[in-house]
Amino acid sequence: MKIRKILALALALTALSAVAMAEFDASKTISVISREEGSGTRGAFLELTGILAKDAQGVEVDHTYAEAIISNGTNLVLTTVAGNDAAIGYASLSSVLHNDTVKALKVEGVEATTENILNGTYRIARPFNAVTRGELTDPLAVDFMQFVLSKEGQAIVMEDGLVSDVNNETPSYTAANLAGSLTVGGSTSVAPVMELLAEAYMEYNPDAVIEVQSTGSSAGVTGALDGTYDIGMASRALKDSEMEKGAEAIVIGTDGIAVVVNLNNPVEDITVEQVRQVFTGEVAVWADLAR
Amino acid sequence: MRGLFLASACVCILAVGVICYFLFANGLPFFSQYSVVGFITGTEWAPLRGVFGILPMIVGSFVITLGALLLGAPIGVLTAVMMARFASGRVVRLMKPAVALLAGIPSVVYGFFGLMLLVPFTRNTLGGDGLSILVASVLLAIMILPTIIQTSQAAIEAVPDAYYEGSLALGATHESSVFRAVLPAARSGIISGIVLGVGRAIGETTAVLMVAGNQARLPTSLLKGVRTLTVNVLLEMGYAAELHRESLIATGVVLFIIIMAINFVFSFVNRRRVLQ
Repeated sequence: MKIRKILALALALTALSAVAMAEFDASKTISVISREEGSGTRGAFLELTGILAKDAQGVEVDHTYAEAIISNGTNLVLTTVAGNDAAIGYASLSSVLHNDTVKALKVEGVEATTENILNGTYRIARPFNAVTRGELTDPLAVDFMQFVLSKEGQAIVMEDGLVSDVNNETPSYTAANLAGSLTVGGSTSVAPVMELLAEAYMEYNPDAVIEVQSTGSSAGVTGALDGTYDIGMASRALKDSEMEKGAEAIVIGTDGIAVVVNLNNPVEDITVEQVRQVFTGEVAVWADLAR
Repeated sequence: MRGLFLASACVCILAVGVICYFLFANGLPFFSQYSVVGFITGTEWAPLRGVFGILPMIVGSFVITLGALLLGAPIGVLTAVMMARFASGRVVRLMKPAVALLAGIPSVVYGFFGLMLLVPFTRNTLGGDGLSILVASVLLAIMILPTIIQTSQAAIEAVPDAYYEGSLALGATHESSVFRAVLPAARSGIISGIVLGVGRAIGETTAVLMVAGNQARLPTSLLKGVRTLTVNVLLEMGYAAELHRESLIATGVVLFIIIMAINFVFSFVNRRRVLQ
């Protein structure tokens, strides 16, 4: 008898929670889901939304909410958001585009799509640039950039989660069988995809050696200007001061980050400032998120 | 033949030695750049700014392990008693493979089970994110059950029947004979089982990572998330470089020392009991 009662109670509770799940409860505390320290996606997201801000001494401080759940991978972020009504997270756009278990929010009214990232209207995105000093002259460097921008190179770029405007007119790469060595250095965010590109290039051109050093975007631009690097890497647009000195940028791909919420969440649109408020814990409840 | 045995034993010892060497050789240099006290008692973890405080993770590991122990040990020991002294042969034949199966389930499956079932259930009934100390403890309690059950059962079955029969002959009931004569005699084996369980709980990583929320700050409630030492290493190893990476290996060193300390304390206590 007792067991039957408990079972009935459990059944009723489950039914109740199922009903509750259908209706979104805006009084719920927002479950903020972030990535681990060191993740490139986290770094880019914090920078682009202003969660990483300089303090009075000029030191960059990470203001991520201390109660934010930390997931160590895109898939875990998406699974967690998909299973929790009140959750908000972020992931690289490419992983979200074909995922219908979560909803990507519009940012400042702009939908997170490949087109909007390429035309620059979607705010949480940044270009991955190859930086050169004027026109490239070294034949190996020219050929390497040709490979990076070719169909084969851009396929690697997209494989790595970046957005590319590759189309049918993008030329394919034919190996030039060049020999020599090349040093590419700069942004730690660009370095991983550049390493993949370098590896693939060296398979086409076994006599070429391409070394990828990861130092930082500014160091990448400086290095390209002073000749330390044949090609620099920067995960941001060039500054005016850098362009005045002769630095030129070639976009090899664009890194877009989507802000994702649960499918039951009625919120469609969010501003960059609201993203910052949510991920720093300034806004704790969904109802407080001014629409 | 003897050479083969010796070689096998050497492989085992060698593995322990190499792991110890690797851990300390790679982890200790970190302390030449960061103070041991600051590392162990610091409450802030901001590796990219060069602040490495792992007290939240030490507390996290202990809290979750304690929770798992409080839930898992009584259930495990009582299940072992049931299987050894109370259940009929048919029930035992059913339970033994079930317990063995429980031991064989990979931890990522446990983690998925926790994430899909325990987390939403906790969130809907008790509130919070669901990813919490409570869920992690419950999950770990289930995970350490087979270890405790199998070791305890073997220990109880190894107690000579004379203990039990002697107690019955003195007029004790079945229950009190089992609990007052057989169990105390099996104590050392049961304690080893529990220590093994503690070792498994404190060392478990993947399943905990999936359900614990992993916040690197001191927790204030059972419904809040927490980060353990093991999770800290797995979580950040992928992208960590230089001092950050060394700090993660140093985290491993601290975990290693804690586990050695626990084993040492228990074996000391156990030996003293046996001597008495």
